[in-house]
Amino acid sequence: MRIRRLLVVAALALAAPPVALARGEFDPTTEFEQHEWIPIHLGPLNLSITKAVAYLLIGTALTILLGLFLMRARLALLPDRRQTIGEALYEIAQTQIAEQGLPSKAIGLWFPYVATLLLFILVVNLIGFIPLPLTGETWHGIPVWGIYAATSSLSVTLALALLTFVFTHFEGIRWNGPVRYFKSWIPDAPKPLLALIVPLEVLGQFMRLISLSVRLFANMLAGHILILTFIGLLFILQSVYLAVLVIPVAVLFYLFEVIIVVGIQAFIFAALSAIYIGSAIEPQH
Amino acid sequence: MSTLLAATSGDVTKAGKAIGLALGVGLGALGAGVGIGNIFGSMIQSVARQPELRGELQGIQWLGFALTEAVVFYGLLGSILAYVLV
Repeated sequence: MRIRRLLVVAALALAAPPVALARGEFDPTTEFEQHEWIPIHLGPLNLSITKAVAYLLIGTALTILLGLFLMRARLALLPDRRQTIGEALYEIAQTQIAEQGLPSKAIGLWFPYVATLLLFILVVNLIGFIPLPLTGETWHGIPVWGIYAATSSLSVTLALALLTFVFTHFEGIRWNGPVRYFKSWIPDAPKPLLALIVPLEVLGQFMRLISLSVRLFANMLAGHILILTFIGLLFILQSVYLAVLVIPVAVLFYLFEVIIVVGIQAFIFAALSAIYIGSAIEPQH
Repeated sequence: MSTLLAATSGDVTKAGKAIGLALGVGLGALGAGVGIGNIFGSMIQSVARQPELRGELQGIQWLGFALTEAVVFYGLLGSILAYVLV
């Protein structure tokens, strides 16, 4: 009942502004522009605080608080609902991610990393679907509320993927030594074929970097653009009555993103990181 | 030939870009659709045969789902790049 009332309020809130504003132009790409709110330039490095950085900072703080709240505070033998959620999250990180990807000798070392990835990406993705007054625009002096995910910026996901990439090869070399590790990239194949296969294998290592980052980035970007475009149809076609059709579809995509995509992308990023690091520590050959 | 060019009246590049974008996303979605259908189909079959393995299979299923689903976005990204850069 409470959920239905909440949905009605949300639908009304979604439907109300276009009545007054259903004119003018609409460009969903402006939602993803980065403006330097607090410029910080260190030589060639641009470390300015932008929208994505603000979302990342909020996400980091929330991740730490969530971890402390769910898994550290007031633990009891008979878990209440809060502790049950924490334990479920921990079990997913433990059994589904760490034990699937990492060899048992490296779980103690790398479980914190993959579990943090899971929780951090989940939180950053989720706050991307909560309207926050961080769009950087104002409407008659009031900050405009909007949805934006830090993970829909390629720089953020590429940085996360680079972490995994560096750790993978660092661990591979540390556990196996450089010679044995790089030899393990070369598969068993007849000699003439090797000239063809080895460049592909090396390329494959870098393709992991691209696929890992682009998967998360494009998923979140496409999800946001989809929602924005459906609501934006009101402005493109300039008809308020279209709201009857457009708002439910937008809400449907919103729910699909929040319930399914957000969790799966966090899970997949952590699981693939664990698999990559695990396969570097214990190569097949 | 000249009449044909006249019929298209000017903005051929724009039309070509639009067709490229649509083809990229559409073909990407086609492949991912087939793949995701395959994954869930096999999952249903496996669970029907061995219901006790459901928990173990679910992790693999979502991994496969996300890996396959990402194919659409590679297509999307490629076609958006083509759309913007060309």
